[in-house]
Amino acid sequence: MAAEPMTVRSPQYVGARVLRVEDKKYLLGRGRYLDDVVLPAMAHAAFVRSPHAHALIKRVDVSAAKALEGVVAVLTGEELAELGSAFVTELQRPDVLSVTKPLLATDKVRHVGEAVAIVIAESRYLAEDGCDLVEIEWELLPAVVDAEEAISGDAPQLHDDVPNNNVAHIEFATDGVDAAFAAADHVFGKRFHCGRSHAAPLETRGVVADFDLGTEQLTMWSSTQLPHFLRTLIAPHLGLSEGDITVIAPDVGGGFGLKAHVFVEEAIIPLVARRVGRPVKWVEDRIEHLAASGHAKEIVMDVEIAVSDDGRFQAFRGRYIGDGGAYSGFPWSCLIDPLPAASLLPSLYDVRELGYTVDSALTNKCQTTAYRGPGMHPGHLARETLIEDIARKLKIDPVALRVKNCISSEPYVTANDMHYDGGSYIESIELAQELVDYAGFRREQLAAREQGRYIGIGFSPFVEAGTWGSEGARALGFPAEFYDTASVTMEPDGTVTVTTGTFSHGQGHHTSLAQVAADRLGVRLESVRVVDGDTSKATWGAGTYASRTATVAGGSIILAATDVRDKLLRIAAQMLEVSPDDIELYDGHATVTGVPEKTLPIATLAGIGYFGGPLRPEGQEHTLSATRYYDAPETYSNGVVVVIVEVDIETGAVELQRVVAVEDCGTMLNPMIVDGQVHGAIAQGIGGALYEEMVYDDAGQLLSGTLADFLYPSSMEIPSIEVSHLTTPSPTTEGGMKGMGEGGTIAAPAAVVNAITDALAPFEPEINHTPVRPSDVLALVARGPAQRTPKP
Amino acid sequence: MKRDDNHDGAIVDGEIEVRLQVNGASRRGRAEPRMLLADFLRQELVLTGTHLGCEHGVCGACTVLVDGAPVRSCLMLAVQAQGADVTTVEGLANGELHPLQQAFNEKHGLQCGFCTPGMLLSAAVLLEENPAPSSEEIREHLSGNICRCTGYVGIVEAVQAAAQAGGGAEASVATTPAAAS
Ligand code: FES
Ligand code: FES
Repeated sequence: MAAEPMTVRSPQYVGARVLRVEDKKYLLGRGRYLDDVVLPAMAHAAFVRSPHAHALIKRVDVSAAKALEGVVAVLTGEELAELGSAFVTELQRPDVLSVTKPLLATDKVRHVGEAVAIVIAESRYLAEDGCDLVEIEWELLPAVVDAEEAISGDAPQLHDDVPNNNVAHIEFATDGVDAAFAAADHVFGKRFHCGRSHAAPLETRGVVADFDLGTEQLTMWSSTQLPHFLRTLIAPHLGLSEGDITVIAPDVGGGFGLKAHVFVEEAIIPLVARRVGRPVKWVEDRIEHLAASGHAKEIVMDVEIAVSDDGRFQAFRGRYIGDGGAYSGFPWSCLIDPLPAASLLPSLYDVRELGYTVDSALTNKCQTTAYRGPGMHPGHLARETLIEDIARKLKIDPVALRVKNCISSEPYVTANDMHYDGGSYIESIELAQELVDYAGFRREQLAAREQGRYIGIGFSPFVEAGTWGSEGARALGFPAEFYDTASVTMEPDGTVTVTTGTFSHGQGHHTSLAQVAADRLGVRLESVRVVDGDTSKATWGAGTYASRTATVAGGSIILAATDVRDKLLRIAAQMLEVSPDDIELYDGHATVTGVPEKTLPIATLAGIGYFGGPLRPEGQEHTLSATRYYDAPETYSNGVVVVIVEVDIETGAVELQRVVAVEDCGTMLNPMIVDGQVHGAIAQGIGGALYEEMVYDDAGQLLSGTLADFLYPSSMEIPSIEVSHLTTPSPTTEGGMKGMGEGGTIAAPAAVVNAITDALAPFEPEINHTPVRPSDVLALVARGPAQRTPKP
Repeated sequence: MKRDDNHDGAIVDGEIEVRLQVNGASRRGRAEPRMLLADFLRQELVLTGTHLGCEHGVCGACTVLVDGAPVRSCLMLAVQAQGADVTTVEGLANGELHPLQQAFNEKHGLQCGFCTPGMLLSAAVLLEENPAPSSEEIREHLSGNICRCTGYVGIVEAVQAAAQAGGGAEASVATTPAAAS
C-alpha cells in the first residue's frame, strides 16, 4: 500500500485534483494487458499478409505450413468465409455506399498488409514459421494511391460495387454562399494536403478468444475501446447471440480512436478458436499495426474564404477529398475524416454563408480509422493556415483577424446547424495573448530578425466537437443513436459500485467517474468502485471515444446516483425525523442541515435500505440501485493552442520553444486528468505537424513500415506544455461538462505550421501540407523573395 | 522440469536452460536460442510488467536492466542473459513504492501505463547516475522511451520530483540481490 490514501482530503471531489486510483497496478508492473492473458491450452495465431497493394490471389498453398511440427491449423480466406460473414460498413444515410470487407481476402487483396491466411500454432514463434511456408501465387493489378486520381474515373476500381472508388459525395451549401463569394472584396483560397497519419497506440491490437464447446459460449478479450459495442457488432458475424458472448477489454495501452473500431481480426480469432477447439491468442506486431490496422487523416482540401476589405469573413467554402484506403473502417466508415473536417469548417467564426463538398475515395492503402480529432485536425489545418495567409496578405495581425471574426461567448448555431453550447471563444484568445505576452513577443521577434534569427508564433483557437451523443454525432454527419448507461449501486455496507459501458484506457475514469458518484451520494471516494470493460459486469454502453465519457457516462452516473440518493434521503429523513429536503449527504454522513449532531453514517442508511424492515420508508423498494441512460446533447469545448518556434534556415530544423494552451471544457471533473489529456493531445498534434506520416510509393508499397520511418515524437521533440483553464459550464449537459481530450490534436498542428510561417514571414512562405519536414522549410526559404545571398 | 545436469547453455530439444538473477532471485527457464529476453521474462518467468511496443528497438517499452544497464529486452536473446543480473519493473518497489513510482502517481506521469515500466527503469538509471538532473537532462535521457499518451510533461515532472524527494540516493535500483531483497 502507498503510505497515504490516494485522495485529497476535501470531500468535495468534482473539480479537485484527485490522484488516480488506478495508477498503482501499472506502476508495479501489474497491469493486465491483452498479451498478459494466458489460458490453459492456448494456441497462438499469426497472419499471412499481402506484400502487394493490389493483386488477384490465384492460388494459396498451405500444405507446407500445415506439415510443420507445432502448427495446429492453417485457414485461408475461403475457409474463413464459410465460418463467418464479411464486414459491411454502411452509414445510416442514403448518400453513402456500403463497402464490404471479407474476413480474410479470398480472390483479391487491396493493400499491403491485408490478411490472406491465418496460421495457428503452439507458439507465436511457430505460427510465424508457418506463415513463412504459405505460398501464394499472385497476379498483380495496377494500384491507385492518390485520392483525386482514384475518383477521377480513370483509375482501377477497387470494389465492383463502389463505382469510381467514391464511397460518398456529399454537398452542403447555404443559399447565399455563391453570391457572397461573387460579391466579396477578396477571395482567398488554398489547397492543403494533410499527411496520412496513424494513431499508433503503444500497445498494438490483440485478441484472445475462448469458445467453450460445452456451453457454446464465447469469451473474448480484445484490446478495444468499446467492449459492449464490439459485442453487438461482432455477434452476427460469428453466428452467435450477444447473450452467448462475453467481451472483456483488459487494460488497454492506448487507443486514440483506432481501437474504437471493430476489426476483422476480432471476428477471425473467435471463429478459429471455435474451429480448433482451443483458446487462441493473436497479438499484433508493430509491423502489422502500421500496415494493416487503421491509418488516418489524409485529406486533400481546397478551402476558400470570402473577405471584406476590412477583414470580415463573409463566407467559407471547402472541398474535402478523403483518402479512405482500401476499405471503409467498421463501423464509422471512411467518412470519419472528411465529413467532420467539412462539418466543422465554421469553427469559432461568425460566418453565415457556408458551402462544402465531401468525397471519400478508396485507394490501395490501409483503411482509415478514427484518430483523435478525426477530420477536425486536417480541416482545422486548412482553414487556420489559410487565415494566417490572409492576415499576411491583408496586413492585418493574424490574432486580431481571428478575434474580429469570432463568435461571442453565447450559445450559437452555425450555418450548418451545429449547436454550440457557449464558450470563452474570444476570452481564451485574449488570455493566450496575455500568457505569451504577444506584444512583447512581436518586439522580440523583430530584434531576433535583426540578428538573423527566425522566431515565430502561431495561434490556433479551436472548438472541439466532443461528446458523441445522438445529437453530436448527427451534427458531424453520423445519424444514429449514441448514448450511454450506468448503474449505481450502494451495497449493504454503504460502499458504491458504479458500472458503465464506457471504457477507461488511460483516461483515469476509475477516478474521475468515481468523483462524480461520490459527490452525488455524499460518500468518500475510497468507497466508490467503477467497473467497466466487461460485458458480463457492466451495463451496455457504446464505449469511450470522441471525448464522450465525461459527459455521457458522467451524466448517466449523475442520474443513476440521484435515484439512489433520493432513496437515501428518504431513509435518513425518516430516521432523523425531518423532511428529505433538510438532509445533506456529505463525506459519508447524512446530516440535518444546520444541526450537525443530528447525523447518521450513510453506511447505516444503506443497511436499512437492504435489511431495515419497518425502518425503511413505506413503499420503498429494497436495495439501493439504479440504472439510467443519458444521451448528452452536443457540446463544444473550446480553447487555444499557441506555439512559439525558432526556425533554423540553414538546416530547416524547427525548434518548439514554447507551447501554451488555454482549455475550456466546462465543468472539469479532475483538472489533473484534463491537463494530461491536453498534454497528450498536443504532443500528438505536434507529431502530425512535424514528424509522423504513413508514406506509400506510387506502386502502393508502404515506405513507413517500422517505427524507424514512422516517427513518434520523443521527450526531446515535445517541449513542456503550459495549460491554463477557463470554465464555461455547458448549459445543456448534466453537470455542465463538455467533451474534451481532442482539442490539442485538432489545434496544435495549425499552431505549429502558423508559427513556422510567422517565423519565415520575410520569405513569404505558404505551407500547404503536413508534416513539415526540414527539407520543406529549406524549400520555403530558397523560394522566398527574401532569399539570402547564396553561400560562397 | 528435469534439471539439466550438463553445463549451462546445453541444448535439450532445441532449448537451452537459462539461469539468471531476476529482481534478486535466482531464476531459470528454458528458451529456444531465438527467444527474445522479453518473451522469456514474460512467458517463461511470467513477469508481464515488461511490455513490447515494437519489437524492433525503437519504443523502449521493453526496457529492463541487465547488470545495472538499461537494455531493450526485445533486442536481446534470452540466452545472452545467461548468468546476468536482471531487474524488471517488478523489482522496483521494495515493500513500498519506489520514489519514482510515487512521483509518477503524484505528477500524473502515466495514462495507459504501457510505457510506464520501461520509463521507470530508464529514469531509475538516470537518478542513480545523476541524482539532480535538469529537465533537459531528463528529456535527453528518456528520449529512447516513447510515451504516446502523456506528452512527457507529467513524466519529466515526476522524475524531477522523485529526484527532489531523494529518489537519486534512495532509489538504488535492484541491480544486486541485496538491494532487491
Ligand atoms: S519493444 Fe523493445 S524497443 Fe520497442
Ligand atoms: S502512458 Fe500510455 S504510452 Fe505512456
